[in-house]
Amino acid sequence: MSGRINTIAKQTFKAAFNNSATLALTLLLALSLCLATYIGWQNFKMQNNQRLHYKALVRAQWLAKPDKHPHRMAHYGYLAFREKHELSFFDFGIESFAGVSIFLEAHKQNTVNFSEAGFTNGMLSFGEISVAMVLQLLVPLLIFFLGYNSISAERESGTLKILLCQDVSWKQLLWGKTIGIIGICLSIFIPLILLTILLWASLSHWQISIDSALRLLLLVLTYAIYFFIMSAIAVLVSAFARSSKSALITLLACWIFFMVIMPRITQAVGVKIHPSPSKIEFADAIAADVHQQGDSHDPNDPHYAAIKDSLLKAYAVDDVKKLPFNYAGYIMAEGEKITSKIYSRHQNELNKIFEKQNSMTTITGFLNPYLSLKHISMALTASDFNTFVDFQHQAETYRYQLAQKMNKLQIQKISNIKPGDEEKPPAISKANWAEQPDFNYHFKQIDTVLSNELLALSALTFWLMVTVILLQYSNRWIKTI
Amino acid sequence: MKKNRYCLEFKLFFRSSSSWIGIFVLLITGFASLYFGKTFIAKQQAVIEKAATLQKKNTLNNIDHFGNDIGLLFFHNKFTLANAPDHWAAFANGQRDINPYLISVTMLGLEGQLYDTDINNPVSLLLGNMDLSFVYIFLFPLVIIAFTYNLLSEQKESGIWSILRAQTNQSFQVIWQKFLVRVVVIFSVALLLLFVAMLYLALPPDLTFLSVTVLILLYLTFWFALSFFFISLSKSSNFNASALIAVWVLLCIVIPASFNLFLTRKYPVPEALQNVINQREGYHEKWDMAKDVTMKPFFKHYPQLKKYPFPEKKTFSWYWYYAMQQMGDDQALASRLAIEKKLDSRQYFTNIFAFFFPTIQTQLGVNKIAGSDLNTHLEFQQAVRKYHEQIRLHFYPAIFLNQSVDNTDIKNYKLEKYNPQEIPYIWINMLSVSLLTIMIIGATALNLKRFNN
Repeated sequence: MSGRINTIAKQTFKAAFNNSATLALTLLLALSLCLATYIGWQNFKMQNNQRLHYKALVRAQWLAKPDKHPHRMAHYGYLAFREKHELSFFDFGIESFAGVSIFLEAHKQNTVNFSEAGFTNGMLSFGEISVAMVLQLLVPLLIFFLGYNSISAERESGTLKILLCQDVSWKQLLWGKTIGIIGICLSIFIPLILLTILLWASLSHWQISIDSALRLLLLVLTYAIYFFIMSAIAVLVSAFARSSKSALITLLACWIFFMVIMPRITQAVGVKIHPSPSKIEFADAIAADVHQQGDSHDPNDPHYAAIKDSLLKAYAVDDVKKLPFNYAGYIMAEGEKITSKIYSRHQNELNKIFEKQNSMTTITGFLNPYLSLKHISMALTASDFNTFVDFQHQAETYRYQLAQKMNKLQIQKISNIKPGDEEKPPAISKANWAEQPDFNYHFKQIDTVLSNELLALSALTFWLMVTVILLQYSNRWIKTI
Repeated sequence: MKKNRYCLEFKLFFRSSSSWIGIFVLLITGFASLYFGKTFIAKQQAVIEKAATLQKKNTLNNIDHFGNDIGLLFFHNKFTLANAPDHWAAFANGQRDINPYLISVTMLGLEGQLYDTDINNPVSLLLGNMDLSFVYIFLFPLVIIAFTYNLLSEQKESGIWSILRAQTNQSFQVIWQKFLVRVVVIFSVALLLLFVAMLYLALPPDLTFLSVTVLILLYLTFWFALSFFFISLSKSSNFNASALIAVWVLLCIVIPASFNLFLTRKYPVPEALQNVINQREGYHEKWDMAKDVTMKPFFKHYPQLKKYPFPEKKTFSWYWYYAMQQMGDDQALASRLAIEKKLDSRQYFTNIFAFFFPTIQTQLGVNKIAGSDLNTHLEFQQAVRKYHEQIRLHFYPAIFLNQSVDNTDIKNYKLEKYNPQEIPYIWINMLSVSLLTIMIIGATALNLKRFNN
């Protein structure tokens, strides 16, 4: 049984490479893959080095600041750069569309700016060539070109009848053809994986982490499953089609619909169903909430008046100037606490809306294996939406800690008595600055990543099962002649 | 007789269900894309309207809160310039999703505010917008391929061709007639969609409309010419389909995408990050320096402001503060110009490259008309710079003299709209697409000569 499948698979594999057109196409694809890998790797190194360079510069400048008022430092703030995961040279995901740097300062949450997309002149709408893009889009196209006549040509030349008479079952034929086509894909895919592993290891300076290794392993596995699904679809369409021509046209139409048109439509529908606020509406909603909670600028505001009263009572003094600590710092810390809480709540709501918009595309993965693989691939290479949101979150946490650290220094170390208009401003030693650690983004662990991608993973599994079942049991509906 | 044959060819064409499927796909995606394109732009328009009312409300709020300290008021108060979408923007959304169309800035350092992005869903940016230009550039060629790839090969494969050749010596005329029927149908669908777009998007029927129509028809002609070239090779249907799809993938995906990657590699823009750092240092370091370090270059930049007395002795004055902010911008000047230069060379290189690729050429052309390309955004940024400078110079005296807010006309300031002055032209784009089409037609003619011999 398995011997026959093997023979058919080997035969398909050999026949494909005997065809000079196939060989040329395969080689061309392999070449473009190597090119994509190399350029992706080079780009990664360049961009990441830039970010690391500026990260070090920002840190050095922070430490070099002279003695000054801590609140000046809170406004001097910090610049955080979004580092790339070393696997992101494989799949660019949203890398080019997400900002790179964010300015973190007291009282104010800024946007992540300078995405690569902002510097391009309309070319980006055609897409970006990365290893993942070639594997997701172009390899299926190759599979369809290889597989469209796998059964139908046998039927047209009459060899199908002979084969079936010779005790070859439909099941064996379908599996054999599928495996043969996968074999051709693997002859490109396996060298590519080896190259990827090599480059990935060099990017991690030959100190590979288990987390990344697991990510890569899963990546290889999911892509292999994807190729299997695509090969099986090609063979099945070829088996069901009336002629080679109709098989080819069907496969090409599917490719165009599912991979070019559908992603745009599902996302546009998602955006339409779950509209997100614009920046000004977002900012206005936050301002309204902050205003409702209490306004630290307004001396008559009830929230802050209550704080003031309770402080005066607790320290048994009649004026805030007589408090044993810096009152302005205390109020700022309270204001920061309130505003950042409100901001985070709104930001989380916004991210939920974005997630809902994206979920449209994720759910469509059950109709379209390309979309589910795209999601999984982006998640595993940490170039997805969740990683970006996580970066924003970690940056905001850092910003809050920095602001509160400076407020604390002000409360403890700055005199509560305001200096005169022409006096030297109060300052604390620059030795304090080193206490604020550098900003380092920490990527999520793979188990968190996987639990976020359950839907996409189950969609891919669903497709795997459907194709296996069809290969096993569809023979009763296929016509031999 | 000849007219009659065209009639029959039309009938034959419309008898096939695949013809109708192709036409319906174009019409349905065309209408859907018009809808999505218009909604996208309508949202931007609604936001701009809303921003105008918010601008007024926030200014009054700020006056209420900080009205007794003019320096503090301008520290908080924002001024907004909007890049209001043209009617054509709904036709080609271009970069309008990526680049902010509303820029709100305070009187403080501009370089720290100018590049703030809108809040976007990056996945939506990645998957791209659905607009009518997408249908023309990506889907029309596919339907053209589907309609024409087997014109000759099908006749051969079904055996009709040999019969035909035996009966008439004008056998190729038949193929040519079939081809023309398809050209007429596709052009009609394209023009119909353009006409619907004109009504639905309220596009003015002027020279711009005409030039977009011409560009799109030229682009479609290019694909017809390409398809006819493959017909003239007289290979099998399967070969034609595979080869044409491969060419489509190359022209619409692989080549532009590779070029984009190459561009990022050749012209990286680390200056953008350097610019942020320059601006930040240029301003903040002044706090720890003698006031002279700030004021000397400030008065060199604005000699006309010298007449306002500077309060040397005061530890802090808004005069000094705004001058320090200005220093941030001044010290970022070199890196800012470096960014502009980099983007210019990107643009220059793209224009040269696009000359050989009609897909890129057409996309760039319609984006340019729609005002949704990078250049329009950069011009918008320049307009913000100008507006910001004007506001600064207008309000500096009142701040420096510590006047009352009531003496200024801040209440009159409302959201301004940026209006591009120049009407874009796309002759070059048309020329390039035409030249490439002519080259392909030439190659086809050579093929046919051989074929007839």
